[in-house]
Amino acid sequence: MRPTRGPLVAVIDDDESVRESLPDLIREFGYAAQSFSSAEEFLASDGLSRAGCLILDVVMPGMTGLELQKELNVRGQRTPVIFITAQKDDGLRARVLEGGAVELLTKPFSDTALLAALRAAFPGG
Amino acid sequence: MAAHLEEPSEEIRRLRHCLNDLVGLVALPAMWAGADSLQIVRTLLDALLRMLRLDFVYARWRDPASAEPVEIARVAESWQPISQPQDIGRMLFRELGDDPQKWAPLTRGSSGGAGVSIVPLRLGMYGELGLIVAGSERVGFPEQAETLVLNVAANQASIGLQETRLLGEQKRLTNELDRRIAQRTAELAATNEELRREISERMRVEEALRHSEAFLAEGQRLSRVGSFSWRTPTDEIICSEQMYRIFELEALMAVTIRLMSARIHPEDQSSFAAVVERARAAATDVEHEFRLLMSDGSVKHLYLIAHGGRDKNDQLEYIGAIQDVTERRLAEEALAELQSELARVARITSLGILTASMAHEVNQPLSGIITNASTCLRMLSADPPNVDGALETARRTIRDGTRASEVVTRLRTLYSKKELSPESMDLNDAAREVISLSLSELQRNRIVLRQELAESLPPVIGDRVQLQQVMLNLVRNASDAMSTVEGRPRELLIATEHEDDSRVCLRVKDSGVGFEPKSVNRLFEAFYTTKNDGMGIGLSMSRSIIEAHQGRLWATQNQGPGATFSFSIPCGANTKV
Repeated sequence: MRPTRGPLVAVIDDDESVRESLPDLIREFGYAAQSFSSAEEFLASDGLSRAGCLILDVVMPGMTGLELQKELNVRGQRTPVIFITAQKDDGLRARVLEGGAVELLTKPFSDTALLAALRAAFPGG
Repeated sequence: MAAHLEEPSEEIRRLRHCLNDLVGLVALPAMWAGADSLQIVRTLLDALLRMLRLDFVYARWRDPASAEPVEIARVAESWQPISQPQDIGRMLFRELGDDPQKWAPLTRGSSGGAGVSIVPLRLGMYGELGLIVAGSERVGFPEQAETLVLNVAANQASIGLQETRLLGEQKRLTNELDRRIAQRTAELAATNEELRREISERMRVEEALRHSEAFLAEGQRLSRVGSFSWRTPTDEIICSEQMYRIFELEALMAVTIRLMSARIHPEDQSSFAAVVERARAAATDVEHEFRLLMSDGSVKHLYLIAHGGRDKNDQLEYIGAIQDVTERRLAEEALAELQSELARVARITSLGILTASMAHEVNQPLSGIITNASTCLRMLSADPPNVDGALETARRTIRDGTRASEVVTRLRTLYSKKELSPESMDLNDAAREVISLSLSELQRNRIVLRQELAESLPPVIGDRVQLQQVMLNLVRNASDAMSTVEGRPRELLIATEHEDDSRVCLRVKDSGVGFEPKSVNRLFEAFYTTKNDGMGIGLSMSRSIIEAHQGRLWATQNQGPGATFSFSIPCGANTKV
């Protein structure tokens, strides 16, 4: 495993295959990656202070990705958020972008789409 | 006049005779009681003829009943061969002139032989009753005593005639009176009968009215319609029983606009007030739907119609009805909800076997595949290559690929095991259903829909639901292709036609972004998509369905912007699906 460098990207998804595959790809992009299985787990950890960008699943049991986004806004956290979803909802992308998200990626998304979103989340890095 | 020197006994005899005659004459009226004028005159003439031994005696008078002159005569026996009673009258007219009123005594006239003396006697004070004429051939006629007798006879005759006339008059008047009384009585009886009939008619009408009022009330209750009238200047409102029930007002309470408005749902208050204002301003026809909020919190939907006009005092008056349409409204709302639910379900299911959960199932492994495969490539192209990492990601890729193919296999079996129910069907009908399902979504996306469905399209043998799935897929693709179009109209055309003799063709043409001509075949590949959030399975599955119908599905570029997707299938009974 190559030593991690670059900002930390936190992946929050209840889907195991996402937690399994995404962090490796993110690391190949040159970022550091850590995964959490729920919003609550993430909030309870120190990931909030360390993460430079979040990749959130929209639909999760317990606190949803949208609710987490709202919570972060309330707390004044300006960490950029990328949403991923398996839903095909036409209005969803507009809604999340309005809420301040960087991007909404609908599964299955290509690696290039993910990279573009991460680049947008870290302007200049 | 001859002065006779008579024996005193002769004179006494004559006087006695004369007295007898007079007594006889005076007694006559007793016989006349109840007699008519003819009988009176006849008896008198007979008496005179006998008493004075006249040769003839004649009477002429006016019949009070008919006002016609009546004449009778008596002739002495000795005269009879010569003259008949009817001749006497003629003779008198001849001798004495035309006007009986002017007849004067004639002495010794010349009539058939010896001269005859004629004495006319007027009857009545002015001779108005008639006259009697006595005639005799005897010399010296009439003597004093005879003249006396004649005059008395004439008097008696007058009296008698007068009496009969008066009696007759009396009788006539009595009859007249009786007649009038009878007439009056008959008239009164008729009026009475008329009144009786009117009364019974009126009672019948009242009964019928009561009946119809009861019907009306019952009808209003059953149909939940209440009627009312509203006189705008005084705001006087008269309501039927049903109105009270609808508004849940106490019976016989005076109804005012304010009272009615108090029951109206707060959200509908202002619109109702506006309607009332409009109605007050000018006579108009009113139609308005509004809700009541009842005291128990329930809501009633009401429908009001009213017609304004001028009453006989030129005051503005409205007559109208209010119907409680709550049940109908609720039913309509439930139906509309059901319809949209059905449409939504229909859309989802007709889009194919891919339900949301199914799509999700395929998405999952696919997403993993792409991520892991991308990672694998990068790991291998790193310097130095991360072979362990690549192996791991490759393993995951294969695992996910297997999962995905399992899902696809499941889909395929589902699709192939689905009892294809081919039937003879009309492609136009199926297309119309698809259009109506898609209308609201097309409208939302500002897409103008045109349809050119061929008339008398021959039927095809096919599975209606599956063909509709294909149509819906094509329509949705066309809609998506136009979702970014600005500055030109978003037009969607659906057309059917009879393609040569054996095939039927359906086209969906859009004015969207079109496609690259080179990549036309890729369009139909499974999982191909140009949409970065799309699945692309639709066209692949659509083509499979069409091919199962012995048909073909293809795409062409338009002359202008956009693309046309078409499929054609055989028609008739010879195809085997």
